[in-house]
Amino acid sequence: MSLLIKDESPEKLIGEDGKRLDGRDLNELRPIKMEVGVIPNADGSAYIEWGNNKIYAAVYGPREVHPRHDARPDRGILRTFYRMTTFSVSERKRPAPGRREKEISMVIKNAIEPVLFLELYPDSVVEVFIEVISADGGTRCACTTVAVLALADAGIPMKGLITAVAAGKANGKIIIDCSGDEDKSGEADLPCAISWYNNQIALLQFDGIMDLKEFDKSIDQIIEALEKIRKLQEEALKKRYIDVRDHLKNYKPEVVSTNNIEEKIDSNNQKNQNGGDQTE
Amino acid sequence: MEVEDIDEIDINQMKDKEIVIPGEVLSEDLTNFTPGRGTTKQGNKIISLFVGLKVIRKNYINVIPLRGIYTPTEGDKVIGVIIDKNPVKWKLDINARNFGILKPSNTVARTQKFRKGRPDRAYETTQKFSVGDVLIVKITQADRLHHPELTTQGKYLGKRHSGKLIEIPPPKIPRIIGRKGSMINLLKKMTNCNIFVAQNGRIWIQGDNFENEMLLIDTIHKIETEAHTSGLTERIKDFIINEKTRRGIN
Repeated sequence: MSLLIKDESPEKLIGEDGKRLDGRDLNELRPIKMEVGVIPNADGSAYIEWGNNKIYAAVYGPREVHPRHDARPDRGILRTFYRMTTFSVSERKRPAPGRREKEISMVIKNAIEPVLFLELYPDSVVEVFIEVISADGGTRCACTTVAVLALADAGIPMKGLITAVAAGKANGKIIIDCSGDEDKSGEADLPCAISWYNNQIALLQFDGIMDLKEFDKSIDQIIEALEKIRKLQEEALKKRYIDVRDHLKNYKPEVVSTNNIEEKIDSNNQKNQNGGDQTE
Repeated sequence: MEVEDIDEIDINQMKDKEIVIPGEVLSEDLTNFTPGRGTTKQGNKIISLFVGLKVIRKNYINVIPLRGIYTPTEGDKVIGVIIDKNPVKWKLDINARNFGILKPSNTVARTQKFRKGRPDRAYETTQKFSVGDVLIVKITQADRLHHPELTTQGKYLGKRHSGKLIEIPPPKIPRIIGRKGSMINLLKKMTNCNIFVAQNGRIWIQGDNFENEMLLIDTIHKIETEAHTSGLTERIKDFIINEKTRRGIN
């Protein structure tokens, strides 16, 4: 997979061998890497590399709401800020939040809010900042996936995780996890998120042309793919703590006896004294 | 200096506990188990709400979170930093969702005069402390909607004039204290430092020399990273002994 993202749409998205442009099968995911606890100053944070997508998420709060009139006396509120950096796409993106960014912030917020126990924190706000460092298709799905990780890392009580992936249609065939090119020149795009505690759809958007049979088929394939991503999410959350444990498994106590300490301190003192003498 | 022994679920004596994540099914046996802290019932399953450690105590399944925010509770002793003041009150950052409020009448020592209901009017201004001061305070009132009320009347409470302040995640505070204060006593004895561990994740320390203080800070950060493992007290003991030798501290 090349790091350079060319800004031209190719004619054929699926080759004669049945493989996609980047050599994937029709229902194959791009390589995914997740990590939590990457930003020390945030209350919770996560990072995801999903193909060429590179996204950071940071959670702050629960904290006081400003402006105060936004606060709710019966429940806390969730604010989500999706932002694409100016260098994340091949042509410079204007830094001001546009219509698209506001929409994506809103859909991510609406997808995540039902799984959080915000009623435990009345009069306060939980803020999620999502920064897209590098974008190559399917960022709203990757952002939903990583925002949930950051919230779990921050210790906000939640009923379960949420995972998202997009299906699409290219050359009349259903594909899973569209890349940037497939997003732009494909025939349809179907981002979908599932909240696992009740197995219900948390986010579903659609753009393009697809008949109902194809729609059902793509939802089935999405669920199949989401199961795989969910396992990666679970691993990422546990890895932070299990690594420390595994590191200590082979721990053997190397206790220096107290006599030794005194000897060593004496010898150290002597050395220091000798050193001092020499300099004089 | 004493630290209140909090009535926590004892995580110090345990073996390596299972690490669970939000939504993970802890048990499907609802006849023998009841959802405890950090869990909820979803259909006929008990699920976890946090990234934490699964602890079964009697019939309750609990999850002890590994990260999270401090929630002020009445009677807790916390360490606060003054962030603002006006003629009638101080505002203290107590590492919680809201700032705490300290009123001058709650900083006057309880003298004979005070008990008779005639507090010394000279103390009724906010001249005593200034912005940036570190105070050990007790929470007298706390609920989910109002700012917590604080007081400096009581043992060990009041302004700290020297020492160092460090911060760790509040859920890891019970590990610093240990079972019946075993860990904190070990730290005090081996590093010759005064320690005050507050429930809001802040620790105030003061030692007789700089080297001991730095050793203690390193030890506390080691406890923080290894808080979810078993056999911690023994390992920390070895760590301090070895570090003392390496650094040449008497």
